[in-house]
Amino acid sequence: MGIPSAPLVTRAFKDLAILNAAKRGMPHERICFTPHPVWGKTPEEVRVYVEGPDPVSGKPLMKEIVDALTVPLSDDEKKSGIVSVSVGPPTFTDTADNLQDFYLNNGYTDFLPIILPTEERVDAMMKGTSHKPDEVVGKMAAGAYPPWSYNVRQAAASAVMAGCRPEYFPIALAIASTGIASLFSSTNSFAFAMIVNGPIRDKLEFNYGIGALGPFAQPNATIGRCWTLMSKNLGNGGIPGDTYLGSLGNNLNYNNVVIAEHEDASPWVPFHVQRGFKKEENVVSLFRGLGVVPGQVARGSSANENVQFDYQMSDLFSTFTGFFGALIIADPLVAARLKEQGYDTKEKLFDWLYKNTTQTVKDYKSRNYAYLFEYPQALQGREPYATWYKLPDDAVIPHFPRPESFNIVVAGGQTNAYPQAGNLSYGVSVSIDKWM
Amino acid sequence: MNRRNLLSLLGMSPAVLAASPLLADDKKKKEKEKGSASAGVVKLTALNPRGLPPPITLIPMAPRPASLDGKTIYLVSDGFPGADAFLNQISIWFKKNMPSVTTVYRLKAGGFADDDPKLFAEIKAKGQAVIMAIGH
Repeated sequence: MGIPSAPLVTRAFKDLAILNAAKRGMPHERICFTPHPVWGKTPEEVRVYVEGPDPVSGKPLMKEIVDALTVPLSDDEKKSGIVSVSVGPPTFTDTADNLQDFYLNNGYTDFLPIILPTEERVDAMMKGTSHKPDEVVGKMAAGAYPPWSYNVRQAAASAVMAGCRPEYFPIALAIASTGIASLFSSTNSFAFAMIVNGPIRDKLEFNYGIGALGPFAQPNATIGRCWTLMSKNLGNGGIPGDTYLGSLGNNLNYNNVVIAEHEDASPWVPFHVQRGFKKEENVVSLFRGLGVVPGQVARGSSANENVQFDYQMSDLFSTFTGFFGALIIADPLVAARLKEQGYDTKEKLFDWLYKNTTQTVKDYKSRNYAYLFEYPQALQGREPYATWYKLPDDAVIPHFPRPESFNIVVAGGQTNAYPQAGNLSYGVSVSIDKWM
Repeated sequence: MNRRNLLSLLGMSPAVLAASPLLADDKKKKEKEKGSASAGVVKLTALNPRGLPPPITLIPMAPRPASLDGKTIYLVSDGFPGADAFLNQISIWFKKNMPSVTTVYRLKAGGFADDDPKLFAEIKAKGQAVIMAIGH
């Protein structure tokens, strides 16, 4: 911008602020720090912070700010040019135990033992695709950072480490091609999910029956894990304090929510067909959000002989943030019951949920996500937020911005009519076949 | 961790990598060790799984004025809760301690990481400095 600036950051984000400024070309940016957090404080408490010291330097905060804006620049601060960044040599040689320790200590793993990506194993993994080892697959960033790029060979190393078989590799490459990292820098501890559709589910023996979301099949387990390892290694995600800031973290990040759709047991078209693919195509679809909750906690449970899953879902979603929408993971028994209730298309269900899951404007405005992400959009005139923010507090509005905020996928073993639901929004669907 | 150590984590300093014997890039040594079983210890060669970070283009910082007397400073919130209240107290501080300074509060449009070209153009045209509050 060419204007002197003093970034003011709360102490909890010290490392992030310094590193991100450096990655963007200002390694000596004059960042000033306040105590953390500043939200929820009274004006008097904030005044004490302003008149007190910078908790990092110990100097008076306002003097730091004035100095940041007025002290003449050093030679380092005037520098221009390009600095290359190294991630080390292409290979490492040591004993297996030492290499396990080395990969773990350097942040290349998820802190579980890995399959070491020896040259032989990586070569074998690359036999799972026709694409060349040096072909660039994509770019990935774990948040608002400059993205890293990667090729087929680098992706294969993470696939080996995760325990994938070569025939799984096209799915890993399809995921990598999206550039979506499953570890995201937000303080929100995001969770990620994927839906796998097409004949590849049976060919690779994905589990979409009993325990569909559990640790009961190799492709479900390892491809999900591979996404996280690729996010770390290809996109530089998952470094606490730098590229990962989730306050609590998320257990789902170990292998993400991997859902192979039980297509034959669904009364509706498969998920990928909804997205414009043919039924015989192999497709992976990615989601991002806050996590997954069980449907049993909602009112209208299956204890009621006249269970109505539409009402149950609507009740469950009242705690969701509309920002991320909802992904219903329906056991085939749930899906069949919904169809019996008249929802012969997914769209009918989504329309009902959109109209019947509501909130008052007052409740809406009190939500963290509304203030953080939707109010700025309202200020720019984007709908429906612009209209919602103009309505009186007691007006009733939909909980989700549009019917398309909902998605449904069918999976499970039909041992009981229990749904689960993710506060997860749809991102993208990509061809797996393209990477075979 | 101090700034020097933090920056070294970016890979900006080759000294950090050279410090690890595992990373010693000695071709002869590697050839000798690859698959060898000297002294009964089998060594393996494994791939570096890391992607390729982009180079860093250094941006010279904007020249500083000798003082803030008579200057207009924009106080910009990125939208995280509490930033507005914090910047308000900073505005009060300037009125009390540096009354010749004019402060202008603005909420940056869009998400916290989004650019706001309209606002940045306004600051460039009318302001001489920025204090930007970045959550939480």
